[in-house]
Amino acid sequence: MAERSFKKEVELLRLGDGDTFEGEGILAVTKALLQSGVSYVGGYQGAPVSHLMDVLNDARPIMDELGVHVETCASEAGAAAMLGASVNYPVRGAATWKSTVGTNVASDALSNLASAGVTGGAMIVIGEDYGEGSSIIQERSHAFAMKSQIWLLDPRPNLPSIVKMVEQGFELSEASSTPVMLELRIRACHVHGRFATKDNRRGTFSGQNRIADPSFDYGRICLPPSTYVQEKDKIERRWPAAVNFIRDHGMNEVFDGTADDVGIVCQGGMYNAVIRALQQIGLADAFGESAVPIYCLNVTYPLVPSEVTAFCASKRAVLMVEEGQPSYLEDAVNTILRKSDVQTRVMGKGLLPMAGEYTGEAVLHGVARFVEGAVPKGVDLAPVLQRYQQIVDAKAKAVRLLGEPIPTRPPGFCTGCPERPVFSAMKLAEQKVGKFHVSADIGCHTFSTLPPFNIGNTVLGYGLGLASSTGIGPNMDRRVVSVMGDGGFWHNGLTSGVANAVFNDDDGVLVIMNNGYTSATGHQAIPSSVKGGGIRSGAFQPDGQDIERALRGVGVKWIRHVRTYSVSKVIGTLRDAMTTKRGGLKVIIADGECQLARQRRIKPEASAKVKAGNRVVRTRFGVDEDVCTGDHSCIRLSGCPSLSVKPTSDPLRDDPVAHVNNDCVGCGLCGEVSHAAVLCPSFFKADIVRNPGRLDRWRQGLRDRVIGRLSRSSNPSRQENAA
Amino acid sequence: MSESRTTTVLIAALGGEGGGVLAGWLVDAAGRAGHWVQQTSIPGVAQRTGATTYYIEIMERAEGDDRQPVMGLTASPGNVDVMVASELLEAGRALENGFVTPDRTTLIASTHRIYAIAEKSAMADGRYDAERVRRAAEQMAARQVLFDMRAEAERANTVINAVLFGAMAGANVLPLPREAFEDAIRSGGIAVEANLAGFDLGFRMAQGERPAGATESTTVSDDDGLDDRTLTDRINRNLPGMLQELAREGARRLIDYQGVGYARFYLDRLEAMVKADAARGGTSRSYAVSREVTRRLAVWMAFEDLIRVADLKIRPERVARVRAEVKAAADEPVMITEFLKPGVDEVASLLPPAMGRWAIGLADRAGVRYRLNVGMHVSSTRIRGFLPMWLLSRLKGWRPRTLRFAEEQDRIDRWLAVITDALEADYDLAREIVVAGKVVRGYSDTHRRGIRNFHLLMDAVPACKSARPPARAFRTLLDAALSDPEGDALDRALAALRGEKAAA
Repeated sequence: MAERSFKKEVELLRLGDGDTFEGEGILAVTKALLQSGVSYVGGYQGAPVSHLMDVLNDARPIMDELGVHVETCASEAGAAAMLGASVNYPVRGAATWKSTVGTNVASDALSNLASAGVTGGAMIVIGEDYGEGSSIIQERSHAFAMKSQIWLLDPRPNLPSIVKMVEQGFELSEASSTPVMLELRIRACHVHGRFATKDNRRGTFSGQNRIADPSFDYGRICLPPSTYVQEKDKIERRWPAAVNFIRDHGMNEVFDGTADDVGIVCQGGMYNAVIRALQQIGLADAFGESAVPIYCLNVTYPLVPSEVTAFCASKRAVLMVEEGQPSYLEDAVNTILRKSDVQTRVMGKGLLPMAGEYTGEAVLHGVARFVEGAVPKGVDLAPVLQRYQQIVDAKAKAVRLLGEPIPTRPPGFCTGCPERPVFSAMKLAEQKVGKFHVSADIGCHTFSTLPPFNIGNTVLGYGLGLASSTGIGPNMDRRVVSVMGDGGFWHNGLTSGVANAVFNDDDGVLVIMNNGYTSATGHQAIPSSVKGGGIRSGAFQPDGQDIERALRGVGVKWIRHVRTYSVSKVIGTLRDAMTTKRGGLKVIIADGECQLARQRRIKPEASAKVKAGNRVVRTRFGVDEDVCTGDHSCIRLSGCPSLSVKPTSDPLRDDPVAHVNNDCVGCGLCGEVSHAAVLCPSFFKADIVRNPGRLDRWRQGLRDRVIGRLSRSSNPSRQENAA
Repeated sequence: MSESRTTTVLIAALGGEGGGVLAGWLVDAAGRAGHWVQQTSIPGVAQRTGATTYYIEIMERAEGDDRQPVMGLTASPGNVDVMVASELLEAGRALENGFVTPDRTTLIASTHRIYAIAEKSAMADGRYDAERVRRAAEQMAARQVLFDMRAEAERANTVINAVLFGAMAGANVLPLPREAFEDAIRSGGIAVEANLAGFDLGFRMAQGERPAGATESTTVSDDDGLDDRTLTDRINRNLPGMLQELAREGARRLIDYQGVGYARFYLDRLEAMVKADAARGGTSRSYAVSREVTRRLAVWMAFEDLIRVADLKIRPERVARVRAEVKAAADEPVMITEFLKPGVDEVASLLPPAMGRWAIGLADRAGVRYRLNVGMHVSSTRIRGFLPMWLLSRLKGWRPRTLRFAEEQDRIDRWLAVITDALEADYDLAREIVVAGKVVRGYSDTHRRGIRNFHLLMDAVPACKSARPPARAFRTLLDAALSDPEGDALDRALAALRGEKAAA
């Protein structure tokens, strides 16, 4: 059960001719795929397209009606390879993943797919995780399109444009026998809007109308001499076919303006930001009517040279608004213009930042400076610059008034996260065995590298925690500890890490976070996920897809299960693994279900029980304010959002005291840490009994009487609020 | 070009606060009113406890005009009409990013604080000064609706995003009637009544009503007498007026901690300090040194040994406080479990000094001093768990004979002597040394490190005296001592101070 359910929203996928869809970008893309007659879809989760996978899964009944196969792929490589269906057969299909990291993983299959070429339309929906909110290295997918000759669509970020690009993308793919990528930036994936729908189309072939005979064509095989022929075909036939299709179908758009001695060329995804910037300095209105002409590239690869020269020829200067680096588009536009001997000046990087997201602010600065320098005809510069200056000054004033930068809020482990205790344990184990190198991995556990833990020396990629320890391990005094999530384990860690470490007889320690899902991406299921939720510890799963059996299968001998919340046990197990004389790989499976998923599952159960009058025990932790001395060591070993500070109510003290708020889920870490770290006695655990039984009440009464009498005898004149 | 303009709304929230629901309501309300509306967000890892934003643009549809507006996907500085922040620091972030400008922005924010990790993990007080945000908001916002919405929401048994939504409606800055807002909540279908109550509360506040909880309770007890009249008289007679209230609080604390005799001892020490302070011009400096000593001396003298911890944990008022904190209903039993892990030091600290030192020495030589801690889960609300803690708390009379007591008194004496001595040299230096008293705190490792740092700081006072200005030199060391738990920063700062001296 994924974090977000689209069960209700997927009904929108049934809309037909004349209806209006209203909803999120991701869902609109799915609808567009169905309107395009796909026969198969799949992918691998990751922001910002995690929800696309959730939508596809929640839409299975509708997909089944249309005969569309939905595949939950093992990795992006698997998803890209799935597109092989379109090589020989006239079936359309789509795959999705997070980019550029996912595209990196997929690139082997992508190269082969692009070289062989496709018969049916093949589309990759790329979630371009770049800029604010991104969780990955900052690169562009554009390079992949160029190196493999895959066409790159970058639609204007509104639903009608996105939907149109999906539909035309399939036609472009088929017209040029080439797969296409649809690039969606984070905010476009989540943009909420409307479009006029069409009926869904059934694919020529599908689960309901299967292909009778397989087709064999050596020309489609990636081996010489076919590969040489394929490369030539790309350049001589497919590329020109694509350029012609893009031009003939008007996929790129020109918006005329009165100040036509200058212009702006932008990626489709940047169009709204450009309009907004022009609007802010008084050169455009809310409907996109702009004084400055705009050439909007909804297809950023390949470019259409005749369109570029036609737009630029009559202009003194154009501004290229191209997010990310290197500046492929600016370079290409320059080349096109110079080759056709058009001398229009191309401005771009320099006025706009070379690196980093093109936020509203960045584009505003770039556009304003371009207008200032180029002086478009008929534009009165004074009010334009005055408006711009006013905005710049206001921000500077606010910064000055604050006087000190606002502290950042990096992401961190959620309240009660089962992975947090493992890093608390590592911090404490360090004190016992000395500091050790940690090969971190991708997943929620990467947050260990942030405060308060700062654990993890390298991150090399998803599932690669163990693989990235193989070089440094033999060169370190102490054993290296590698971390891997269960998601990364099934994605590739089992082979690239575990099997290989056993094969090489590498001596190291691997901690596998078994939390039951790919939690960071929104709780998608993986092979070891348990139906209905939860995790299984130590016992083999009935269907055989469990982590321990996989480990044994590839020859791991030293395996320990440990409940993550038992900090002392985790420390002990880590110490054993670090100090045992036995060589080879030592694997600790750290069991603890993702607390977000767990709470979502058990909360309704508990409240139903309470409602039915059943006895339910609720647990949470707290801090005795008068025992806490305010040094906050506990926070430095935890970082739990529910463990914070509050102003002291003691007039004699000044520093804030630790405090547990009502979000506490009673995971037990606070108590474990105060024990394991010999921290301080101010923590307490409170078990609150809802709907107490007769026995509960009788015991409580007895305790109250005995304890009450002793308390009174001890100090009858005790003052209230003495502390 | 047409004149119509979009209304832009930026919502800053923390992951898991319901910012998405709030944005969803607004989109729904705008849709109901027949307006153009677009919303974007950046979910992903930002949702996992980080700061996140939702951005919404709304535009009224002109009669007969079917052109679709081009709406922005990111907020731009100087282009935000309604800035909503679910917490004060996030309002500060919005200000810092230029999203609050005097020409157009209405700032709607809750003033409660949720501390960022750097703020709460600091060893002393790392909190961002909230006044900075308030001051900047005052000047930058065209209009502001600021109050503690979390407190109000709790009082009204509702959630903060409903209060924010109400404030957005009540501020009259969005082109939507109140009914559209309320219908959006109703169509959400979840906790409708509570949400509508919260909405109404926020609406009224934005219209200028005062929050119900505006009167803050004072932290200092207003009971100005002590049970012991002689002590009260003594305080009134011997201490300057501005110190009396704090001194009464201190004396009260120490009577509770040990007894009247111990409170007298506190006043002896305090009076000596006041005398030294007055001799060095304290009168004209509002007794800044004595004032700090009044507080810190009482806290230090009431050091947290096992007896004290046991005593505090078994008090009836403590059980009542816990019950309130965990929101237990009157008929619900609450079981409290304590996490205690006494070891050699803790046990030895209860023995007479000579015997205690011998025991620690023995354990040290055997290499087990830090390895014999016994982790105990003590259920203090059960008779079995309560009894040992109760017995421990009754050792109060024995306390003055313990090793811990002797050691703490020695340290306190050293501290007071160094302060008195510093008063001769530099008043500001003395004041910083008083603050340094707080480094001795915590339990076990933390406490041991604190003691180490305390002595290093006191040892460094002579070196600081020759630095210019001495107070700043000492403050640098103190900040270093409070900046990392391992004490590395203090070692570096001390080395730097020595280096400077050598160079001079």
